[in-house]
Amino acid sequence: MAAGSPYLRVTYAETNRILPEPYQRVLVVAIAVAVLVLPMVSNAYVIYLLNLTFLAVIGAVGLNLLTGYCGQVSLGHASFLAIGAFVTAILSNRYGAPVWLALPAACLVGAMVGFVVGLPALRFRGIYLAITTLAMHYAIIFVLTTYQANFGSSATAGISVPAPALGGYEINSGRAWYYALLLVSAGVVVFSLNVSRGYIGRAWVAIRDRDIAAASVGINVARFKLLAFVCSATLAALAGSLGAYFTGVVTVEAYTLELAIIYLAMIIVGGMGSVAGAVLGAVFMTLLPFGIERLFEALPHAWRLGTTSYGLQEAVTGVAIIFFLLFEPKGLIEIYRRTAEYFERWPFRYRELQPAERR
Amino acid sequence: MELLVSILVLGATNALLAAGIVIVYKASRIVNFAHGELAIVGAYVFYSAGLITQGQSLLLTIAATAAISALFGVAIYAALMRRLVGQPTFVAAMVTIGLAIVLKAAIVVFWHSKSVGINLTRQTLYTFPGGGRLTLVDVITVSCCIAFFAALFAFFNHTRLGRQFRGAAENPLLASQRQVNVNLILALAWGAAVFSASLAGVLFGSRSMLSPQSTIIGLSGLTAALVGGLDSLRGAVIGGLLVAAATYLTARLIDPALSEAVPFAILLIVMTWRPWGIFGTPEELNRV
Repeated sequence: MAAGSPYLRVTYAETNRILPEPYQRVLVVAIAVAVLVLPMVSNAYVIYLLNLTFLAVIGAVGLNLLTGYCGQVSLGHASFLAIGAFVTAILSNRYGAPVWLALPAACLVGAMVGFVVGLPALRFRGIYLAITTLAMHYAIIFVLTTYQANFGSSATAGISVPAPALGGYEINSGRAWYYALLLVSAGVVVFSLNVSRGYIGRAWVAIRDRDIAAASVGINVARFKLLAFVCSATLAALAGSLGAYFTGVVTVEAYTLELAIIYLAMIIVGGMGSVAGAVLGAVFMTLLPFGIERLFEALPHAWRLGTTSYGLQEAVTGVAIIFFLLFEPKGLIEIYRRTAEYFERWPFRYRELQPAERR
Repeated sequence: MELLVSILVLGATNALLAAGIVIVYKASRIVNFAHGELAIVGAYVFYSAGLITQGQSLLLTIAATAAISALFGVAIYAALMRRLVGQPTFVAAMVTIGLAIVLKAAIVVFWHSKSVGINLTRQTLYTFPGGGRLTLVDVITVSCCIAFFAALFAFFNHTRLGRQFRGAAENPLLASQRQVNVNLILALAWGAAVFSASLAGVLFGSRSMLSPQSTIIGLSGLTAALVGGLDSLRGAVIGGLLVAAATYLTARLIDPALSEAVPFAILLIVMTWRPWGIFGTPEELNRV
C-alpha cells in the first residue's frame, strides 16, 4: 500500500483509475456543477451553442476511439453521421417510428456500415486507408443524395423529423435538449473512458503503435480494428441521429467532406488518444467560428466585408489543423498536462522520464 | 473522333493534376490532398493577373502566374512540410488537408466565391459533322500536357539534378550523404507540383467556369494518380486518360449525373483490385 504518497502507484487498480489525483476529482465535480447550472443562467443562444457542442462531443469522442486510440485515419466520419441522421429521418418520417425505436435502429445501421467501411483497414494502413474511407464517404453520400432526390415533394428541402417524445414528454425546448444531450454525451464520455482503459483500449493502442508487434503478443488485429470502426461508427450514427432530431430536418448537403475534416480537426486540436482531449477539441472547434463571427461584429463597420467573415470561419478549421500539427501535435490536452505537471511538482522541476499515459 | 478529342482533353487535364501529386509523392511520400484547391487557386490567380494586365499581355499574365505558383509551392515546402520531416507521413497528409481548407476559404475571402471563366481564346478550329467543335483551347490543353511531360522526362533522365531527384526519392538519407541537396530537391518538387496544378487549373478554367466547387477536380487527379500508381509518372498519363474515358463515357452513354460518381467508383475498384496502381510498385503500400 502506498499510503502517504499520491504519486507512487503499486497496483493495477491504482494505475487504472480515471481520476488518480484528488484535485482532478474536485475539477470534475466543479465542471459538472457548472454544466448543470449553466442553462439556468444563460440565454437561448448560448444554450443552442452548447447543444451543438454536445453533439460534436459525441461525434468527436467516437472518432477519437478510431483515430486516436486505434490509429486508423478515417475521412468517412461525416458519412457515418449522415447514415445515423437518414435512418432516423426515414424511420420517423415515413413509418412514424418513435424515438426509442429510431435511435437504436440508427445506431445499429451505423454499426453495420462501420463494419463494411472498416473492412479495407484489414488490408491498408495510413494514407491508403484514408483514401479508401474518402471513396467510401463519397459512395455513401452519393447513395443518400439519390435517395433524397427521389424522396418526394420536399426533396430539395430535406426530410423533416418530428420532435422526439419519450413517455409522453416531448423534447422541444432548448433547455430540455440541453439536459438530454448532456446526459447522452456524459454517457458516451464515460463509456469511452472505460473502453479505452480496459483490455480493448490497450489492444487498440498496441495496434496503433505497431500492428505487427500487437499481433505477435496475441492481439487479434483484424477483430480489434473492425471493433474500433464499429464503435466509432455507432457513436457517429448516434450523434447524427440526435442531430437530426435536434435540427428537425435532414439534408444530405449538411454532410460534406468538410464536416469529416472538422471532426478530425477536433481530435487533432484536442489531442489524439485522449477522451478529455476529444471533448476539449469538440468544444474549441464548435465555438471558435461563432467567436470569430462575434469578433467581426465588434469591428468597425468598414471592416465588415461581406464574405470575409464567412471565409475566415471556414479557414479556421484548416488553420487550426496546421497550427496544432506543427506546433502542438499532442493538442490542447498536452498544454493542460504540462500546466498540471508543473504545479504538481512545484517547486521542483523533476519530470518523469517516460510519463505514464494519462487520460 | 469527337469522343476521342473530348477524352484526350479531359485526360490531359487529369494527367497534369496526377503528375503534380506523383511528383510530390515520389519525392516525399506525402499524398497531397490540397491539389485540386491549388489548381483552382492558380486559375483564380491567372484570372486576377489577367485583370491587372488588362488582357494587354498574355505572356506577362502567364509568366506572373507561373512564377507565383512555383514560388507558392516552394513556400509551402519551406513553411509547412519541412517542419514535418521525420514524422509519420499521414501527419503531413493531414496538413495538406488543412491547407486545402485554407485555400478554399481564400477563394471566398479574396475572390468572394465569384464564378469566373478564363477567356484564353474562343477560336474554333474545326466543326465535326455532329456539331461538336475542336477549339484552340483543346489543342493548347493537350499540347501543354505533352510539353510538360516531355520536359519532366527530359529532366529526370538527362539532367544531373533530375538524376539526383530520383536518387533522393529512392533513399533520401543515402542521397544526402552523397552530397545531394535533398532540401533543394523537395522544394523543387513542391514548386513543380504547384506549377503543374496551376497549369491544369488554368486549362480547366478556360473550358468551364471556376468556382470553389471546382476544387473537386482534385479527386479526379488523385484517382488518376492512384490508378496509374502513386510513384509512377507514366502511370499518371495512363491513369488520367483512363479516368477521363470512364467519366466521359458514363456521362455520354448512361447518365450525366452519374459521371460525378465515376472517380470514386474507380477509386474503390482500384483499391480492392490493385491498390498500388498499374505501374506502381507493390512495396509502396508498406511505406506510408
